Amino acid sequence: MQGFVATGLIGISLGAQYALLALGFTLIFGILGVVNFAHGGFYVLGGYLAYSLVTYLGAPYAAAVVGAALGTTALGYLFERFVLDRLIDDHLATLMLTLGLYMMMSSGILVMFGPQSPSFTFPLTGVIRGYGFYLPIENLVVLGVCIVGILSIYGLIYHTDFGRALRALADDRAVATAQGLRPTVLFPAAFALATGLAGLTGALVTPILSLAPHVGDPVLATSFLIVILGGLGSVGGATVAAFLVGMVEAFSAVYLGGSKGALALFVLVLIMLVVKPSGLFGHRVRGA
Amino acid sequence: MTAESINRGGGALLEVASISKRFGGLHVFNDVSFAIPPGEVLGVIGPNGAGKTTLINVICGMLPPTSGNVRLDGKDMTGKPLHVTSRMGIVRSFQQTNTFRTATVRENISRAVRFSGGGEQVSKTIAPLIDQFELEPQLDEQSDKLPYGLQKMLGLILACAVRPKVLLLDEPAAGLERRERLRVDAFVSHARTELGCGVLIVEHDMDLVRRLCPKIMVLDSGRVLAEGPPAEVLARKDVIDAYLGAVDEEAA
Amino acid sequence: MIQFARSAARGGSYSETIGVLVIAAVFVVPWITENPMVYSLANQMLIAITAAFSVYIMLRMNLMTFAVPTFMAIGGYTVAMLGLRHGVTDVLLLGLASFVVPALFALPLGALVLRLTGVYFVLVTFVLTEITQLVLFETPGLTGGSNGLVGMPAVTFFGIELGDNRAVLQVTIGLALVGAIVTAVVTRGLRQHFAAIEENELLAQSLGLVVWHYKAFGFVIAAGVSGLAGFALVNMLLTAHPTSFSALSSVNYIAYTIIGGKSSMLGPIVGGALLIWAGDIFALRGEYSQFLFGFLIVVVVLLARDGIVGTIYRLGVRAVSRRTSSRKSPSAALGVPNAMEPLK
Repeated sequence: MQGFVATGLIGISLGAQYALLALGFTLIFGILGVVNFAHGGFYVLGGYLAYSLVTYLGAPYAAAVVGAALGTTALGYLFERFVLDRLIDDHLATLMLTLGLYMMMSSGILVMFGPQSPSFTFPLTGVIRGYGFYLPIENLVVLGVCIVGILSIYGLIYHTDFGRALRALADDRAVATAQGLRPTVLFPAAFALATGLAGLTGALVTPILSLAPHVGDPVLATSFLIVILGGLGSVGGATVAAFLVGMVEAFSAVYLGGSKGALALFVLVLIMLVVKPSGLFGHRVRGA
Repeated sequence: MTAESINRGGGALLEVASISKRFGGLHVFNDVSFAIPPGEVLGVIGPNGAGKTTLINVICGMLPPTSGNVRLDGKDMTGKPLHVTSRMGIVRSFQQTNTFRTATVRENISRAVRFSGGGEQVSKTIAPLIDQFELEPQLDEQSDKLPYGLQKMLGLILACAVRPKVLLLDEPAAGLERRERLRVDAFVSHARTELGCGVLIVEHDMDLVRRLCPKIMVLDSGRVLAEGPPAEVLARKDVIDAYLGAVDEEAA
Repeated sequence: MIQFARSAARGGSYSETIGVLVIAAVFVVPWITENPMVYSLANQMLIAITAAFSVYIMLRMNLMTFAVPTFMAIGGYTVAMLGLRHGVTDVLLLGLASFVVPALFALPLGALVLRLTGVYFVLVTFVLTEITQLVLFETPGLTGGSNGLVGMPAVTFFGIELGDNRAVLQVTIGLALVGAIVTAVVTRGLRQHFAAIEENELLAQSLGLVVWHYKAFGFVIAAGVSGLAGFALVNMLLTAHPTSFSALSSVNYIAYTIIGGKSSMLGPIVGGALLIWAGDIFALRGEYSQFLFGFLIVVVVLLARDGIVGTIYRLGVRAVSRRTSSRKSPSAALGVPNAMEPLK
């Protein structure tokens, strides 16, 4: 029982991290129509930025996390504004551009920091024990920050003008533009928001899980799985699917062993594509 | 133009029964019904956002309706995929992107013939249109080098090359200069008489609608506001109000 | 009567023929030299080119596939298993198997994913390639797990063992040639269909084309071609190992095709050869060449969409037109009339 609850809590913790990542990814896809291949790259960059700020500038961890998030936000903004925006309507082109960016980011990090995992640990250690369960404090803090992040995004998307503008652009760009919303201002902002979230998550999670140049790949793959399950472009779907994936991963890691979890998830996705391709909450899906 | 239009036997009866379309909480249109017998023309007008293009999208199968059904000569076509409805005879035109821009005119037409499983005899049916629009000297030109008006006509020709039984035209005159709009008349006439098609035209140009459509349907906020001959319908106060004075906007 | 039923194929139909001939011409190499470095380079280039063909076929329909290493792995491991466990060494049989088995895997997957919008295809193939390594590691009974399948017997051609360096290269060339011929036949035969899907899928559908059939067909063929590349790789190493089929390599194959040029069959050939050569000649370590490739992709997409081959073609056409200065109509496809060009 103790193991079960502990695993469940890990699942929720993972789910919250994945949700934060998947939300950013699904926002970019839903609003800009861009499949952001560099999403995992911003995650890793966030981790390394925080690591550098802590190690080379002696910054306190919390400040480093904020710094990392700001750094990835800025980079995302610049990339969208000066590179992606030129070809924003060509979905294949934007995909290739983000792919190229990812290649540059991950190899750049590899060149600068080397392939080994640097020593980057979470400053708070300790464990909370309770009635039949235990949870490391670091997971708790990350969970807390992620939940705050998720709620903030929901608040932003559904209760602010900015969010409304983004949703209008996602629904029907022609109509939204005709009504005065400006994609040239809003798109970079939306992209920057998503990359900032990825960087934030990276800065928080990599000291717990691991920091290395290649940890962005599985992040991207997991984000893909989540948005397929939840429905492309659906914010609610991404959140639910993220927690689902977190749980499946936690339980399969503990009870099935090895990396069978990833396999199980992929099979789950294939089943979903057969049964309800639009995902849990999505709609338009039929192409050719 | 009378109700007993000449029918060469190529067309089919389109019946749309109580179709509705909803996206989440948004009702695009509700309980729309009409029928278009072969050789007849129905105009669909209404303010922007009234659901006209979505109506076409639903009839041709790009979107499934939330309820209701679509029949062609009695056969149920509701929600069948686009390529199936096209092959069965429900063919639509697009407002934008109606041709393969980087392909030549000849390639465009040849693709339309090939993709719909047609053969040599199709050239016979569209040759008069090619003559009419003087496209023969431009056959080997890249289609996006044509003037905009001709590109739109090419798009209509492609729809014809698919051997339609019913044509759904989405704003065929949009972006055309005044004198070019008469080409649409020629096209519709050809489709009606030579192909025997029923034609549904979504349009904003009221002159064109008056010329070509013995019957029109007004869609406003997702419901059918009025139906009948244009002279009657366009004089109704509620129709004029719905358009807020935009009734003659496209006449210029 | 105006002819429409037979479509007029426009210029550029030579690139497939030239492409096949270029690959066939590589047979000269094992005749004129025995240098193992040259052989190694040639092997790597041909494997890269064959894999890039796979990417190219899908890009002709505006679909980006990440699944090349997966199907290479299926092809390569099939061949290794047939050799090690069943004693099959005939190169023709193994070649057929390396094409057919991945193609069979691609069939249900394609039917599943290709009826949905193109984005799903990208996502699913990416996840597929990420878990390929995983599957290979987690099924040691089948695939040898982290050891892979070692010690494949040399392939044979009508009983003659093809074990030495020269023979290995010849097998690679042969496989690449088959891949080239298949690519040429499919992309040329279905040129109009693929081009229609690439440019305006919705219009193609509304004209009656069953688009997903063609996408699925292309995917199955591309999987087969990847399988051939996998066979060549495994044959060169005499080992089927998970690290040969990494997710990273999928990105590289995509890079070769995009940078070389995605609009012509010569693109993957030029891209694969050039970038393998660049990585080798400059002795770039993996991460530097990755950075370069990423940078080149961004440059190509922003400035020279049709890659190296496309840019050369366009410059060449422009140079030729300036010399002949003949134009049929004001709407010449080559751009704005140049005031300095001599008048006809």
